[in-house]
Amino acid sequence: MLSIEEFDIKLETHIIGRNFTMLDEVDSTNKYALSKKQGQYRDGEVIFTEFQSEGRGRLDRKWVSSREQNLLFSILLNMENRKIQHPQLLNFAAALSVARSIENLHFIKTNLKWPNDVMIENRKVAGILCQSVSQGASISRVAVGIGVNVNQNNFSTGYSHEPTSLKIELKQMVSRERLFAEILNNFELNLKKLENDPAQIVSEWKQFCKYIGDQISVKNDNKEIFGILDDISPEGHLIVIDNMADRHIISFGDVSAI
Amino acid sequence: MDINLIRRLVKLVETSGISELEIDEKESRIYISKYGSAAPGQVTYTATPAPQQAAAAPVTAASAPATTAAPTPPSPSDTGTKLHEIKSPIVGTFYRSPAPDADAYVKVGDRVNVGSVLCIVEAMKLMNEIESDISGTIEKILADNAKPVEYGQVLFLVKPD
Repeated sequence: MLSIEEFDIKLETHIIGRNFTMLDEVDSTNKYALSKKQGQYRDGEVIFTEFQSEGRGRLDRKWVSSREQNLLFSILLNMENRKIQHPQLLNFAAALSVARSIENLHFIKTNLKWPNDVMIENRKVAGILCQSVSQGASISRVAVGIGVNVNQNNFSTGYSHEPTSLKIELKQMVSRERLFAEILNNFELNLKKLENDPAQIVSEWKQFCKYIGDQISVKNDNKEIFGILDDISPEGHLIVIDNMADRHIISFGDVSAI
Repeated sequence: MDINLIRRLVKLVETSGISELEIDEKESRIYISKYGSAAPGQVTYTATPAPQQAAAAPVTAASAPATTAAPTPPSPSDTGTKLHEIKSPIVGTFYRSPAPDADAYVKVGDRVNVGSVLCIVEAMKLMNEIESDISGTIEKILADNAKPVEYGQVLFLVKPD
């Protein structure tokens, strides 16, 4: 069981995680978070669980995580009082927070796969799913769902990118409490940057991306674009130049290196 | 907006080394880009854009050069009641169902209430659920599943109760 005392000692935030819900088991922390309507939650509230029965990735892809081994949580943000021009960059901010926390605490080199997978070499150590709700012209609230494989020993097969955990990489148990607090500390800093200087988040994200300048392929629903990843746009989109020198700006799809 | 001015600007972009030109004036905005798969010198012209629209438009123009930044919905002529428009708050991909093999959230003729989920628009793995801000009946669905939508594009027309 996660030790709240150990976690709380390391938490240095003002908003993120200061309201905290711990659930023994839940279908999905994002779903739980977003079911709270305006006025029923505090900005920056964190919902943590030891087991998710319906963990989800993009397009409902299933994600299974062992009980009490990992970090599974959602950060709920009230967007009505925040000036975030490109909410999709919350993905970058969250991925950066996880990557930096792992590097700071455990001295393992991480890299980021667009837009928000945290990798150790080409193995996936953390996944992020941002879900939001809008009514009318603007987004009212966002749940930033983060799953980090911490002490899980083995994984089922069949993923496009082999999963790994910090325990597998380091060959020793890792304190979930310390890592959790570090991620929230970093997230609060990155959230401020996103509000004040989003270009800074894009620039930091790029430093963790090992594919810039390389040949990549981006698979969308029914087509695949090949080319060189030239840059990341201010909105976080991929700028790919194909072999006809045409420039493509890509906002969704699965990226792989060739 | 003076058409000859636009012509001259297109010419200027075509014959010069610059790849993008954007002019923002009080009441109008011109964006010309050589990027994309269309012929060089593609023009997007928006009249009196909202501030956020102006910020989102360059991506729009570059990724889908053939569309203008402010799509106009087909005007409903067959009804006396004014239909309520549900628009996309972000640039992204429109999904009518939570998963590829799941049922659509809503179809034409369905009754919806305030807070009913109508669709998802995904922007770079931010999955945004769009809820209805009115109760009524879905009259028209104006976007195609898994296709890109623009900021402010009308996705649904709802006949209010």
